[in-house]
Amino acid sequence: MADKTMPIFVPSEKPVKVVKWKVKQGVFVSQGQILFLYNDSSGQGTDLKKYKAGRAGTISSIKVKEGDIAEPGQAIADLEECRHPTVMKEMCAECGADLRTDEVTNRDVAVVPMVHSVPELKVSEELAQKLGREDADRLLKDRKLVLLVDLDQTLVHTTNDNIPPNLKGVLHFFLRGPGYPGRWCHTRLRPRTQEFLENASKIYELHVCTFGARQYAHAVADLLDPEKKYFSHRILSRDECFDARTKAANLKALFPCGDNMVCIIDDREDVWRHATNLIHVRPYSFFQSTGDINAPPPPVDEKPKEKLPTGKNGAQVNQMPTLDAEPEQKDASKNKENKEEGSNGKIVSKDVKKDNADAKDSEEADQESDERIAQDPAEPQWLETSDGQIEVEDPDDYLIYLDDILKRIHKHFYEHYDKMGKNQIPDLKTIIPEVKSEVLAGTSLVFSGLVPTHQRLETSRAYQVARSLGAEVTQDYTDKTTHLVAVRAGTAKVNASRRISEGKANKLQVVTPDWLWTCAERWERVDERLYPLQRGGQSSSRRPPAHCSSPPPAPAAARRRTPSGRFMDTINPLLSFSSDDIADMDREVEDIFNESDESSSDEEKPGDDDLDDEENPPEDRLISASAENSMQDSIQERLQDSQEAEATNDSEMDDEPRPRKRPRTSSPPSEEEPPDDDDSSWNLMGAALEKELLAQD
Amino acid sequence: MFYHISLEHEILLHPRYFGPQLLDIVKQKLYTEVEGTCTGKYGFVIAVTAIDSIGAGLIQPGQGFVVYPVKYKAIVFRPFKGEVLDAIVTQVNKVGMFAQIGPLSCFISHHSIPADMEFCPNVNPPCYKSKQEDNVIQEEDVIRLKIVGTRVDATGIFAIGTLMDDYLGLVTQ
Repeated sequence: MADKTMPIFVPSEKPVKVVKWKVKQGVFVSQGQILFLYNDSSGQGTDLKKYKAGRAGTISSIKVKEGDIAEPGQAIADLEECRHPTVMKEMCAECGADLRTDEVTNRDVAVVPMVHSVPELKVSEELAQKLGREDADRLLKDRKLVLLVDLDQTLVHTTNDNIPPNLKGVLHFFLRGPGYPGRWCHTRLRPRTQEFLENASKIYELHVCTFGARQYAHAVADLLDPEKKYFSHRILSRDECFDARTKAANLKALFPCGDNMVCIIDDREDVWRHATNLIHVRPYSFFQSTGDINAPPPPVDEKPKEKLPTGKNGAQVNQMPTLDAEPEQKDASKNKENKEEGSNGKIVSKDVKKDNADAKDSEEADQESDERIAQDPAEPQWLETSDGQIEVEDPDDYLIYLDDILKRIHKHFYEHYDKMGKNQIPDLKTIIPEVKSEVLAGTSLVFSGLVPTHQRLETSRAYQVARSLGAEVTQDYTDKTTHLVAVRAGTAKVNASRRISEGKANKLQVVTPDWLWTCAERWERVDERLYPLQRGGQSSSRRPPAHCSSPPPAPAAARRRTPSGRFMDTINPLLSFSSDDIADMDREVEDIFNESDESSSDEEKPGDDDLDDEENPPEDRLISASAENSMQDSIQERLQDSQEAEATNDSEMDDEPRPRKRPRTSSPPSEEEPPDDDDSSWNLMGAALEKELLAQD
Repeated sequence: MFYHISLEHEILLHPRYFGPQLLDIVKQKLYTEVEGTCTGKYGFVIAVTAIDSIGAGLIQPGQGFVVYPVKYKAIVFRPFKGEVLDAIVTQVNKVGMFAQIGPLSCFISHHSIPADMEFCPNVNPPCYKSKQEDNVIQEEDVIRLKIVGTRVDATGIFAIGTLMDDYLGLVTQ
């Protein structure tokens, strides 16, 4: 930086006497401030004159003392010009100078936006370092660390879909924006969030770091923390993010002295560029139909997959009511129903009854979903209480474990800090992996059926997960082997395990991969006895769950609806049809409805279509579209699918219900299999409807 | 500084309002369109005090909309450099504090807060506190500040303030 010190010269042609200094050395003066009083040394004019600063800056040195006489041309003091270290809206926050006019010289000084919610306020590198150091010192003094908290799917789950207004524990708020008409958001806090924040705030300084818009982030933070005692103003939202895809870029600005003391909790690893100080939490999903509404833009063609259910696969369509139009439709029909009944009471039960009356097909589907409920007790269950509120049983208990993980990290950090002595700060980027690697330290794993034969063990996700937990993984049995992680019974390794453990004192533990995934989720060695390998049971857990697999495995060749394969068509299949085709389809749908005029289809009559614009074709039209499009092979595929589904159901019958059997529905959808979904008598209705359609064909 | 000045505004009216209530609607529309807005030149329009005249409406060809030129008097608030104003603190952080002077937002840098006042992040809400703890500025407090600079855009004004002068700082009621 160029030296901007400039001398203050004697302000007249004659020598002057400095009578009184109004400022001290090293003091910041603003423009127009009186610096000193003087008069003519000749003594003719006795009245004092004031000398005002011509520009803002710091008085770096005073060269003429009070009472001394200065000759013309002599410097009285040095004024160091304001370096504009703090800039707000391109205006120096110290001297008030407008930096838009002389941008060339000053633009690069203040570059670091240090305050979370005000990106316009920037400070210079130097000042940022100073403030960052002060922050770090304060944290060390209070024995705290920094915790960056993600909102969506970590602490809350929000949907924009229409949901029943009487859900318990769901908070509603309306976001109004200048650019868009506004929308309702329905937010469910993860169970035990309040306790978690309370506990965490004792040992961590909490910051919100979310990809939600600023308004949304503040609204949710307000729900979480109405008194502003946890987050205060430390809320970073999408509007302040430098990069639309990653939050990592902002770290440097928020923590100019390095992120040694920063710990992150997030359900997405990729947005932090897989930072090692990240605790990858299990995504929280409450509204099955919604993923992360504020997810960063997907890198590949994840999008069409997210937008559309895989249309040809019947099961998937009715299990995943993600399409844009359907929730509205649901709601519309629901409203109708409410009118009929005069109260919003018995929605669920009535639908079930309807379905039973519907056709025998639905029984099968019913069973299916019952099984799912049994298999995955972690899935929220929607029950109804007498007072008209829908009580939701939400067995998510992840925050208990997360709390524990954070405490361990904190303890570990300060143990290191105390050992290292003054002026040295341990780095959480090494501490956190260290803590994690203690989880399975001392164990030695062998995988069976977990890694495909064509893949090298070291490149598999399971291997990496196990290694990060501190376990050793070997290709085959060694003397030290303690665990066999097997997908199914009957493999050569499983058989061998019996022989091996016969002779040994320490029995070889045979567990399913769920054991490994649960360890990775909770960061603790869970009891192996909870995850025994069942004979004949095909465990569905070969694929790591969402919290162990990021970036999510790309969906295997997402099937396309349209022959053209254009992206646009995958978003809206109707675009690829001529208007005649669409009219045809409409007619077909009408026909179907007229023929099979059952109570369930009643509600979905195209009366609601007026509400939907052409962008959001209702579900029934989508189905008919896909049927029309590739009728033959879709039928065959559906048949196959349903057979397969039955087959897997049979095999899964043997499995006992186990905690967290399969990864939960989450965004991004990383699975081919239909997500578990038990709320949906609506889905059953869809299934019934679709079977009718098929029957027509 | 507040001014009471005459201003002009054009009201565009849809033909459906043509009827006996027409002039009332023009007035109503003027209030909603003008009050609370900010122009760089005159500052914030606080309140319309009088409507001097509603000119002859001109029907837009091809549309049917009508444009009324309206002359009115309004109280406007225009901040100036060097002005001393009372403000309410809205946010306190390590870089400084934000304050609100009615519709005008203002930022006071840490350097413009007397050096004996230190930032205390640990209390809730965070505040600036003098060493003797007798002088605390936190959110919602009323402070007196001097404006050292204004950023005047076409649609808004933002101010930079300072507390480094005599009689500035916390206003005790």
